[in-house]
Amino acid sequence: MAGIMELLGMALGTFLIFSTLSMLYKDNPFFRVGQMAVLGSSIAHFILLNMQTVYNNAWTPLIGGDILMVIPLVLGLLMYSRLKKSTAWLARYPSSVLIGIGTGVMVAGTVSGQVLDQIAVTITDVLNGGGINSMIIAVGVVTSITFFVFTKEHTGVVGSSAKIGRKFLMISLGANWSGELVWYLTQLVGRLMYVKNFLTALMGG
Amino acid sequence: MSFLSKLGNIDYRWLYITSLILTAIPLFVPIGLTVTLSEPVKDYYAVIQDLPEGSVIAVSFGGSAALLDEQEAQFLATWKTIFSLGHKVLFYSTTEDGPMILTNHLGDKVKPEDYGYTYGVDYVELGFSPLGEPGQASFATDIRGVYQVDRRGTPLDDLPMMDNFNNWEGIDLLIYQYTSCTDIEFAVRQWTVPYQTEVIATTLGCCGPMAAPYYPSQIAGFLSGSGAGTELEVLSGNPGPGAAMSDSKSIGILPQLIFIAFGNIAYFAKMYSKEEER
Amino acid sequence: MSTILRREVPKIIVMVFGILMILGSYTTIPIFDTIKAELTSWTMTISAVSVWLGAVYATYANYQLYQRNKKDGTVHLIYFVVPFIVFGLQFGAGILYGVESAQYLWYFTNIYSNIGATVYAVMFFTLASSAYRTFIASSWDATALLAGGLIYTLRQIPLFQAWLPGIVGFGEWVMLVPNVGGGRGAVIAAALGALALGVRTLMGQEATVTEGA
Repeated sequence: MAGIMELLGMALGTFLIFSTLSMLYKDNPFFRVGQMAVLGSSIAHFILLNMQTVYNNAWTPLIGGDILMVIPLVLGLLMYSRLKKSTAWLARYPSSVLIGIGTGVMVAGTVSGQVLDQIAVTITDVLNGGGINSMIIAVGVVTSITFFVFTKEHTGVVGSSAKIGRKFLMISLGANWSGELVWYLTQLVGRLMYVKNFLTALMGG
Repeated sequence: MSFLSKLGNIDYRWLYITSLILTAIPLFVPIGLTVTLSEPVKDYYAVIQDLPEGSVIAVSFGGSAALLDEQEAQFLATWKTIFSLGHKVLFYSTTEDGPMILTNHLGDKVKPEDYGYTYGVDYVELGFSPLGEPGQASFATDIRGVYQVDRRGTPLDDLPMMDNFNNWEGIDLLIYQYTSCTDIEFAVRQWTVPYQTEVIATTLGCCGPMAAPYYPSQIAGFLSGSGAGTELEVLSGNPGPGAAMSDSKSIGILPQLIFIAFGNIAYFAKMYSKEEER
Repeated sequence: MSTILRREVPKIIVMVFGILMILGSYTTIPIFDTIKAELTSWTMTISAVSVWLGAVYATYANYQLYQRNKKDGTVHLIYFVVPFIVFGLQFGAGILYGVESAQYLWYFTNIYSNIGATVYAVMFFTLASSAYRTFIASSWDATALLAGGLIYTLRQIPLFQAWLPGIVGFGEWVMLVPNVGGGRGAVIAAALGALALGVRTLMGQEATVTEGA
């Protein structure tokens, strides 16, 4: 038997489910209230969890003697300088640190992981007798890459290759769409199960 | 306009209503359809099965509370499989929702203690840190550089499982659980490429086709969507929430497929009638 | 001096930090490994400290929305106030009882994750109605899109796995062969583009990246 707070929570949750679904009919105050509620809830959640991260990963080590932690803490605070026009340029420093680190880390792994290794496995599969499937993949890879060559006009051989590549890309997009559709359907099933569980709890189940 | 042509102009609210009703019916009247296993799921399971006993598995947990309906079956079946094989597990959350989901699941739905596990010896939860790609790189090279304490505030040096273990060298398998489709590149670039760490992944249904180019050369197996979670439940013999959703999905998708068929019939009927007029 | 501090120093920071990351990845010199580990851990702290910025911008956007619409009735005042009430209650529960407490999880489960999940459920209907209008085999490209989508959908649904046993193998073939052909080509093309942009950024030629920050 569900406790009273649990029941109240499920009642609120069920109301919010239907208020969100009501936007399918038309925009209405119930939908807007639900959206505003989740805005406040999300902000509270993100702030609390990130405050915990700062405390555990930066403040505690700093107090424990890791002086270097001052630098990321100060850089993080510098981000707030963008709130005032005259000091907004100071926010470029922490942004530059993030961009430099992120770009460097990305570039280092991309050459091998997403270019050389992908080309290698495509060629290796063909040479190792991967059969018709590996040939189809190889054709798909080459033709899809030509589709993204925008420095040469898509005429002649390049044009024909790009047209074939587009078909492969369309099949990929179709598969992605299919994954999304079934994902969203699963979410709908989940919400209906939530409502069913609420009704069951309400009836004393 | 002929009847067939009108099939392309049906008020889409009929699609909404029929989808809603047909999705809800199996929740009250289950059908009990079976699922068929796919190769990426079989490989995912085989990788975990083939690990030597006592191996260390790092779980990069990027779960989202809003997406639990899609991924809960994957998570629970994976953890039940790992715990039943006796592997050591290191959980670290890359999303704000991660710790809450782990609290709920590991405290209630899949209790490691039920498998004879002891916290700190057999499994550790490190909590949340906003790890993007640089964070994954940092974690792989220096775990204590990212996490000084675990989620309960215990210093890592006080946890027996973390003795002599601070980077990729101590990790036998990375299970990369993510929700943003392009994030699989982080695991490939920061784990597979530099350290050849074996990686398997769980993700949303729409991200599976985007993970496929990396399979099996760079990720050894993957679960894509709740359907794959259901397949793992069946394969591992660990029933869970996935099976309950299967029937609803089977029936709920039918209106969509019928309406797409209607749209195409209407299009070709219009084309045929235009040709006849000529 | 002002131009140097505002433009040139950020570019130098991007270059130096980027090169340190690359050296840490491509060399086996221990000092670069140490620097890479230290600097990458900084990104998490910087991100976490600046999270309140999002709250400030969201509050400002909410206030502007209220200012634009307040003449339409007091209901907009309710819209303006609701986020603050929910924020206050949930934040208070988190501070007083902890983020793993039953009190906090009540808000987390029934508001935050519930509405988030329902928004995705709503997207099923919008995606379905748009597919009804657009998934028409009007050209070879559209047919390829439709075929890829339908076959992979049927493969995922247990009902069709039972009715059409061959659909499982065919659907997997679609995902693991033509989808990989197209997807891998897209991955390589996107990676080459990202590399070009990354190198330009590290060389300080992408002004929009640093000056827009």
